[in-house]
Amino acid sequence: MDGNAFLERLIFFIPVLLSLTVHEWAHAWTAWKLGDDTARLMGRLSLNPLVHMDPIGTFLLPLMGVPFGWAKPVPVNPLRFHREVSLRGGMMLVAVAGPISNVCIALVSWLVLFVMVRTVPVDDLPELESVLQLLVILVAINFGLAMFNMIPIPPLDGSKIVDALVPDRARPAWNRFCELGPVLLIALILLPQLTGFSPLSDAINAVMHLVLSTLRHAR
Amino acid sequence: MNSKIKTLLFWLALVAVFVWLYQSSRGGAARAVPFRAFEAGVKLGTVRSVEVDGNRIRFQADGPNRFETFGSLSPELWDELARREIEPTFSSSKGNDSLIYYLVIGIVLIVALVYFLRRVGSVGAGNILALGKSRAKLVEESKITFADVGGCHEAKEQFGDVIDFLRAPKRWTSAGVRLPRGVLLEGPPGSGKTHLARAVAGETGAKFYVVAASEFVELFVGVGASRVRDMFETAAKNAPAVIFIDEVDAIGRRRGSGLGGSHDEREQTLNQLLVCLDGFQQNARVVVIAATNRPDILDKALLRPGRFDRRIRMPALSRADRVEILGIHTRRKPLDPDVSLDEVAGWTEGYHGADLESAANEAGLLAVRRSRQQESEPAIRRDDFHQALRPRAEQNRLFDRLDAVLIESTSQLAEPTGRAVVRLVLRDQSTLEGDVVWADATYIKLRTRDDDAGILVPKLQVVRLEAVSGTEAVSRDDVVGDQWAGRLADLA
Repeated sequence: MDGNAFLERLIFFIPVLLSLTVHEWAHAWTAWKLGDDTARLMGRLSLNPLVHMDPIGTFLLPLMGVPFGWAKPVPVNPLRFHREVSLRGGMMLVAVAGPISNVCIALVSWLVLFVMVRTVPVDDLPELESVLQLLVILVAINFGLAMFNMIPIPPLDGSKIVDALVPDRARPAWNRFCELGPVLLIALILLPQLTGFSPLSDAINAVMHLVLSTLRHAR
Repeated sequence: MNSKIKTLLFWLALVAVFVWLYQSSRGGAARAVPFRAFEAGVKLGTVRSVEVDGNRIRFQADGPNRFETFGSLSPELWDELARREIEPTFSSSKGNDSLIYYLVIGIVLIVALVYFLRRVGSVGAGNILALGKSRAKLVEESKITFADVGGCHEAKEQFGDVIDFLRAPKRWTSAGVRLPRGVLLEGPPGSGKTHLARAVAGETGAKFYVVAASEFVELFVGVGASRVRDMFETAAKNAPAVIFIDEVDAIGRRRGSGLGGSHDEREQTLNQLLVCLDGFQQNARVVVIAATNRPDILDKALLRPGRFDRRIRMPALSRADRVEILGIHTRRKPLDPDVSLDEVAGWTEGYHGADLESAANEAGLLAVRRSRQQESEPAIRRDDFHQALRPRAEQNRLFDRLDAVLIESTSQLAEPTGRAVVRLVLRDQSTLEGDVVWADATYIKLRTRDDDAGILVPKLQVVRLEAVSGTEAVSRDDVVGDQWAGRLADLA
């Protein structure tokens, strides 16, 4: 491994850290608004990345170049939701808050990019290259995070949404599926590495293509 | 607020790091150009140096920029370069470190995988492995010494050996005597058993582990035993140490006395405790002190020689002891000269250490409260002690008397289901007369003549209580149809 590859990873790592932080914070914030202060009491209702990071999942793996990672999950106790919030509905809202927050970051970053490209004179753009690059990476990462987390395999957020919607009749089957979750997830992550078939990165590429073309037409 | 600023700074720092990293990576990194551009550069003579790494070619042209392209050097290019006296350097960044790198990545991946699976799997299940860990808490460096323990001179004397053993075990081992290992402290609640054990640790500078015997008992069978083992192991590792097992009767109850004999777990824990007491290393400087206020129900095996063979009874406090204890507890409190601790000790016959501590504290509270009103320096006066000691004694006496009268008046009813009419004199000298609806530890409910709903009288307010309905005084006619009739007889 040469130093440059590591540097590239580090460059990618910082936006990932920020995005994961907002993602976890969104879970905690939604739970809090719904009446559950468990996460808040544990100090997780914070935008400080240090609060949410996991030594292996957040640092080691991404910096080693493994295209996968995780932050500490935010604990949610649905029994503490307000009376008018149903347990299932509340859990679903909390779960969906994370991916939605990522979509929001992606949209905001894209908007800022768009405005910058429109307003800043062409000659000054190279000065801002690093900031532009940060925004582009933020768009890509957050879109990817949102997509990835909506995959309905435990322990991803998508599974919690499915969990709330599964009819009672199908629950035993769903629970059996959940037990397999972590293994399936690892298989899913290895799949693109082994076969080269990667719908997620294709989707990200498509979105980035779209974003860049809007920027090109911004002038 | 502070944490928000910290978070903001953290984010800004991260962004700054990103910008810096990005700049530095751009500076050092080579820019990718088509191979054609490289060819043209060589032919035009703008290329200064060439570095070949597999099919990757990095080159430096006029100016500071470095470029990178993919391809292979054709013979013509070789000639061209040789003509311009440029010697290509060769390197292979892939070959030499890739194996180790992938090995490391592989190991890290496996570790991370195990970690991840464990994490996901254990959500909600708690950590089973931690169950068998002892819950004994280490109290760092007990600061309490025998100077802080008033009275109990015999107990202190009996601890002398133990302390000497913890301090200088050599003398005891060389003499070939069996070492004092287990001490059982017996005494009523509040008589200072914990305090004394703490002082032993403080005297010797030993580590002091506190555990309540009930903490050994858990839902799962076998957990208690493994906690006992774990506790002894940690203590032996950190010797010299004093293990203090509070309320040892929770597990040390005589075996085979449980209902149906089904409570195996407790017996198992006790057995383990016995084995550990017997068996742990002869020269480990660990002393176990157990405390109980029910020595009569302890298992005989706990008390046999070699286990808790040294039984120390916390004695009733003599007047001199009480003076000493009061002295300790008022050491840091300002005392008015009119206080005679000896006199206070005279008022507190039968008090234990904890009672005295509480009385001294209560008096201190009163003194501070008064000084706040008068805006003067707080000083504990004789009256404060008097006040602090009074409520409890008075309350006990009053309640006892009230209950005695109540019980007597009901037991004297000619008709057991009749009404008990009492007359109360309250603190403000008013009197109340009525039927007793019910009475409990703190309240009496009366139905008076003019208030049919009944009123609740705190016993504390009652100064005198007389039974009006004596034997003959109860009229049978009044009783008929009274829905509360007979209630008092039930509770008496």
